[in-house]
Amino acid sequence: MELTRRELLRSVCAGTAALAGAALPPVSSIAGDDALAFVEKTFDRGATMSSRVQLTMPSVFPTGYTVPMDIAIDTAMTDNDRVRSVRVFAPGNPLLEVAGFNFVAGRSVPRVSTRIRLAKPQFVVAIAEMNDGALLANKVWVDVATDGCA
Amino acid sequence: MTTPVPRIVVPESVRKGEAFTVKTIISHPMETGLRKDEHGSVIPRKIINRFACTYGGVLVFSVDLHEAVSANPFFEFELVATESGRLQFVWEEDGGALYGLSHDLVVE
Repeated sequence: MELTRRELLRSVCAGTAALAGAALPPVSSIAGDDALAFVEKTFDRGATMSSRVQLTMPSVFPTGYTVPMDIAIDTAMTDNDRVRSVRVFAPGNPLLEVAGFNFVAGRSVPRVSTRIRLAKPQFVVAIAEMNDGALLANKVWVDVATDGCA
Repeated sequence: MTTPVPRIVVPESVRKGEAFTVKTIISHPMETGLRKDEHGSVIPRKIINRFACTYGGVLVFSVDLHEAVSANPFFEFELVATESGRLQFVWEEDGGALYGLSHDLVVE
């Protein structure tokens, strides 16, 4: 069989795509795995993903030096249901942990805004520790154009 | 390094029971310890590693900062107006230096 250049290219592309599809886990699972594994080691227990952790960041940002980050936890901050702290991780940074925020029931609202450094496009992960010890997590993809850690 | 200068934005007075917004910033390079100077030697880490806010002497909000917090760390957060009292803000730098500001809040 004589193979034309076009057919060859097509078959190579299809093969590569199939390989890539088979070998690489979906982006979302890469994301969390590093951070959740790290968190499990740090806290000595696992976290569950939850929409009560509202992590808001721009999906695309021109510089990695000052990426805006807004965190809000959906809780009434009562004795029975409150957040103690929120820790933020950037698994794609040379140093994983970004910051930890500590709130006090009846005195502070579980919301904070700041600016962080990201070395490359990655998922940023926020873990909220609730009063009963439960760890709630959420993550958001941020595509930065420049390395904010250089 | 120039001396870090902290700044805050807080309302003069607030209504009892309501939440109010606090904005804080401190001028600081947040040197990560990952960078090298022109001779190839590592520039030692020097960051603000903790920020704390007390209200009438009670700790109401705090932050543990790591290297990935941007230079000139900025925080915007909300406190609940419980009673008139002094708000105190303290930034702690690697090596133990402290920088602080305070504000007397009137609650009506």
